[in-house]
Amino acid sequence: GRRSSSLQDKSLCVTGQKQMNSHKSWSLSPEEFEIWDRLYRIKEGDGIKEPILPRAQFETLENLEETPEPEEGAARELSLCEWSLWQNQPLPTALVAHSDLCHLFISAMEMMELMRHQQGDCSYERELQPHLRMEDVNIPGNKRNIPGNKR
Amino acid sequence: QRLKAAVHYTVGCLCQEVEEDKDAQFTKQSIAAISEITFRQCEIFAKDLEMFARHAKRTTVTTDDVKLLARRSNSLLKYITQKSEELASSNMEQKEKKKKKSSTAKGERTPGEQEAAVTENEDSNM
Repeated sequence: GRRSSSLQDKSLCVTGQKQMNSHKSWSLSPEEFEIWDRLYRIKEGDGIKEPILPRAQFETLENLEETPEPEEGAARELSLCEWSLWQNQPLPTALVAHSDLCHLFISAMEMMELMRHQQGDCSYERELQPHLRMEDVNIPGNKRNIPGNKR
Repeated sequence: QRLKAAVHYTVGCLCQEVEEDKDAQFTKQSIAAISEITFRQCEIFAKDLEMFARHAKRTTVTTDDVKLLARRSNSLLKYITQKSEELASSNMEQKEKKKKKSSTAKGERTPGEQEAAVTENEDSNM
């Protein structure tokens, strides 16, 4: 009834205040820092390397992202391709479902797995060849071959 | 299927250019995989572009929406922005030329058509 709900409100308020007190600033409180330092922080003696994410680089474009180059071997770059053989099926999810982009990736991995052992002749090509209409394609490099194609 | 075939052909041509450029070889299978990924990626681009336009309360996709697709990489964003400026200025020139001639000939494209052309162009660049 009404009473219990107001009680709940009160307790929410109290815990809210408590949290507010210790979270006045964006940074960790001394207690939180102590916990982090003891349990989670990676230190030199731990024998594990700092994990870092690989940086995106464009082979064909000038690279603008400055890469803060960490000491060689001091960090462990997290690999996105080491376990590619595991990627041709959707992996379990908890709360967030796979996105369209993720499904694209999975089906592409599956396709590559199926084509892995094909030699020379390509089934994909064979399947699509009959559907090709030359009027659909317009390649800058081939423009000189197509008469009457001005820009 | 016809669309896929066109994408596959185009990807093949682009890969050939890279082969000549880098002195490397693509297997037919790898070209097929790139084609399929390109094809599916277009579906995702299309959905995103539609959402970006709708988010800005537009029904026409503009170059600003396309730039949003490239937001994750500064290099890519810079490249796309440059291209879009080049296109915009060449469009202006063309318009101007047409204006001078246009008393006789009416051949101007609607803004919508122009934007669609821009989008296509930049999609294929990625």
